[in-house]
Amino acid sequence: MSSRATYIPWTQKYKPKSLSEVIGNEEAKRKVLEWIRTWEKGIPEKRAILIYGPPGTGKTSTIEALANDLNMELIMSDASTYRTEEAVKRTAGRASQAGSIFGKKKIIVFDEVDGVSGTADTGGLREIINVIKSTRVPVALIANDAWDPRLASLRSLCELIEFKRLSVPEVARYLQRICLREGISAEDKALKFIAERSSGDLRSAINDLQALAQGKTKLTYEDVAWLATRDRKEEIFNVLRMIFYAKNSAMAKSAVNIADVDLDMLFEWIYENAPYHIKNPLELAAVMDMLAKADIYRGRINKTQNWAFLRYVIDLMTAGVAASWSKKAAGWIPFRFPERIKAASATKEERALLEEIGRKIGKKCHISSARAIKEILPYLRIILWNNPKMGKGIAKWLDLDKEMLTHIAEGKFSSSAKS
Amino acid sequence: MWTEKYRPRTLDEIVNQEEIVSRLKSFVKAKNVPHCIFAGPPGTGKTTAALCLAHDLYGENYREYVMELNASDERGINVIRETVKTFARSRPIGEVSFKILILDEADNMTDDAQQALRRTMERYTETARFILVANYSSKIIEPIQSRCAPFRFTPLPRDAIIKRIEYICEKEHVTILDDGIEAILDLSEGDLRKTLNILQTAASVGKPIDAEIVYSVVGKANPYSIRDMIFTALNGDFISARSKLREMLRKYGLSGMDIVRQIHSEIFMLDIPDKWKVKLADITGEIDYRLVQGANEEIQLSALLAKFVEAGYEIKRGS
Repeated sequence: MSSRATYIPWTQKYKPKSLSEVIGNEEAKRKVLEWIRTWEKGIPEKRAILIYGPPGTGKTSTIEALANDLNMELIMSDASTYRTEEAVKRTAGRASQAGSIFGKKKIIVFDEVDGVSGTADTGGLREIINVIKSTRVPVALIANDAWDPRLASLRSLCELIEFKRLSVPEVARYLQRICLREGISAEDKALKFIAERSSGDLRSAINDLQALAQGKTKLTYEDVAWLATRDRKEEIFNVLRMIFYAKNSAMAKSAVNIADVDLDMLFEWIYENAPYHIKNPLELAAVMDMLAKADIYRGRINKTQNWAFLRYVIDLMTAGVAASWSKKAAGWIPFRFPERIKAASATKEERALLEEIGRKIGKKCHISSARAIKEILPYLRIILWNNPKMGKGIAKWLDLDKEMLTHIAEGKFSSSAKS
Repeated sequence: MWTEKYRPRTLDEIVNQEEIVSRLKSFVKAKNVPHCIFAGPPGTGKTTAALCLAHDLYGENYREYVMELNASDERGINVIRETVKTFARSRPIGEVSFKILILDEADNMTDDAQQALRRTMERYTETARFILVANYSSKIIEPIQSRCAPFRFTPLPRDAIIKRIEYICEKEHVTILDDGIEAILDLSEGDLRKTLNILQTAASVGKPIDAEIVYSVVGKANPYSIRDMIFTALNGDFISARSKLREMLRKYGLSGMDIVRQIHSEIFMLDIPDKWKVKLADITGEIDYRLVQGANEEIQLSALLAKFVEAGYEIKRGS
């Protein structure tokens, strides 16, 4: 696929490592710090805090930076993972009671708690409440909206700490800091413009800055002014709309030309979003079949390096998709970012680590690494949960290092090993 | 790990597969071993038998005379051409005039690699003997099969597994109840490796092992369900079925091939008209073929799930 894995978002790259680097919201940050400090004297009255506020104001960053400052182990779950009763028990239940495997102090964080779904995460909220009631380590909940009715019973158990929107000068100052580190000389006016557009959301401001300034040495007001009329995100949505709802095959095919993402990426967008738009099962099967066939041609290109086949990939993924369904729009449906891309970039390193673990187990147990991952690793994980001493003994014998062990115990592998 | 701790070291320690063991012992006595194929289901002692044979043949330092390769990890033709050749062509020092190469999971070798192997086996017979370990000997090409002495390993009988469980529990000071043993037997399908993995995991709970503990640890180890994914698709929820698929691929490390084969084995157990079973089996076969050809696992399996959604819809409409 494409070479996007090397692209590091600046929001990651410039994530604050220490609380002193987190910008704004001084009072809120002080409250969080004080609350964590009270744990040194024993279990406080409120065993959890609920940090709330608009996106991009530093809620998660504050917790992460603090954990880093105080050398605490973060046990984190966000809306990207399932948070059923079972899952919460698994990740947080044990952690809230036992000492860490490596003796670090812990903090349990439920990010995006307002994203705990009523249907997909059955019993999740109730179990979070149970964890809070009995926890022996600090628990931090993070949400955009603390007044969501579903959080009512949680709210009473928590100390509430509000994060407010950042001011324009605060955001601009942070952007300036990034520019310095990237070797970009930026006009104040340009940064102020980006900051204003972000309405106090530092994350989106940094994303905009990266889109506009990466690879440049100078950033002028002219470079950024066009943002006012054109929104990058809108762009891919228009392309998708042109493909899904094309009036004819020519229009569907022409969408490729105006897309400012590469073909592999466009394919992922189409594949991700098709089932949300195409509801009739017969049509959905036909559309997915078109994508599967386009994928076969991609494979043939890979195998033969004959790029002339690309035309068939394009035909099938655009005109093929458009012609396979009746295009009755079921109201306005938002487009979603491709999951596979999110997962692929996040897990490339994890996959390498997983394969290394598989090799180590395989060598000792006389099986292939793929089978080791499939057949032995799940049991090893449970042994680690149940009986860290036995688990660590096995890990030592297998010659697994600390990082591998932590990864196994957290069960956070999310990618497959090719067999 | 108990699978390794209690892996037999010598042929005498192997408690089952008597007929096979006695044939292997005769090889040791004659200090000569033909090329062999050890075929049989997982966890029936194939690799163990090969290692024990080598141990008895060469003594404690048998590792110096043995190379163990896993064909699933190193299945390309280059491994055969280079690694295997280099190992195979030099004559060992000592009273046995050949070395042993154990090729594990040999049924995962590509056809090209098998062809290359065939020549290598012929050319270096003087200095190296090959033991091919496989689940299905039918996946080994005919010319290799005809050069090898076949050994068929059968699933271990219940009594033998029970004895083994009881022996290990005694050694490890673990209490196990009768229904715990039953549950392990039920889940491990005659596979001793799986048996011991389940047993050790259940023991790590630290309580006397009963059926409940066994089912709970195995459930946690395998929290995905192919059948569940199929039902979700048949009920028309493609998006959830696709999420389940993604979870299997990413989180639990299943390969596309594993999933497609397991889907196939579920099809004929579904409560749907035969016409649709056959149709879905046909489509599954097509997807299987595409995966073998190197197509993208998730895209192809998603297309298959969409077909299940279509099937569910048509069946409800009564067609």
